[in-house]
Amino acid sequence: MTRYYDQVDMGDELASVEKEVSDQMVLDFCDVWSSGGGASRFTDHEIAKKEGLPGAIVPGIMSMNYMAQFLAGWADGGQLKKLDVVFRQPVQHPQTISFVGVITDKNQVAGENQVECDVYIQNAYGDRLVGGKATVVLPGRK
Amino acid sequence: MTTQELEFDRSQLGVEYDAGSFPVKAESIIKCCRALGESNPIYLDEKAARAAGHPGLVAPPAFCGIFVRGFGRPDIKLKAGGGGMHAGEVIENHVPVYAGDVLSAKTSLKDVYAKTGRTGTMVFVVWETSFTNQRGQKVADVQESFMRRA
Repeated sequence: MTRYYDQVDMGDELASVEKEVSDQMVLDFCDVWSSGGGASRFTDHEIAKKEGLPGAIVPGIMSMNYMAQFLAGWADGGQLKKLDVVFRQPVQHPQTISFVGVITDKNQVAGENQVECDVYIQNAYGDRLVGGKATVVLPGRK
Repeated sequence: MTTQELEFDRSQLGVEYDAGSFPVKAESIIKCCRALGESNPIYLDEKAARAAGHPGLVAPPAFCGIFVRGFGRPDIKLKAGGGGMHAGEVIENHVPVYAGDVLSAKTSLKDVYAKTGRTGTMVFVVWETSFTNQRGQKVADVQESFMRRA
């Protein structure tokens, strides 16, 4: 259902979403991303451990795509204009992560209905592994 | 170590390189979106995308970031620590990307700076890439930051 600009306000929370990230999902993503670039810290737990990581990790660009997916899903009918992401801690897999967000501002700029959001990818303990700031453009009512 | 003290090839700052051209394939969009657990049909089914008013299968909003890996970027001869990790990324979208588009990319070194915190000094290298489609429209700007410990 389309989300309209007049339906949202500063301080509103984006409905949280959980996602189970499997080893296979990361393998499939890496197949597109690195054109089957072989085993790496992203796809092989042993290689990751040799590099000092606790296990294989989700590539940063995959975390970013997850966050963009969360925002695009929330902004049904709108567009993700900008996403600025900081990778705070490695995101291990397999694990269930959750996406949370809050609206921090809304402005009409050059005819666009822009909504600013803070978003995070969290683990089951509530640790914020990835942080982001997004600008989303929502439709207005005709 | 401060930013002024960093040793790297400063003549590379702002120099734009042609990073190549990138055809946006439907199967890549679909495979990427399946890997992300996407269920919105505009990313998975061309007919559904057209029925929703799009000219073709839609690429997800951070898709351009996928192409940035593997750019043959020049050695900036940075003398600070080793290894490195992806510290952050910014994507700014201008027009949507569809299957069948052919994107061309230009990349440049935007910034190199040092920051000192509780855990020591970190050096950040920032690359900026601009994507244009075959119609000459600017599609997206992608900024990647890589961090290494000094």
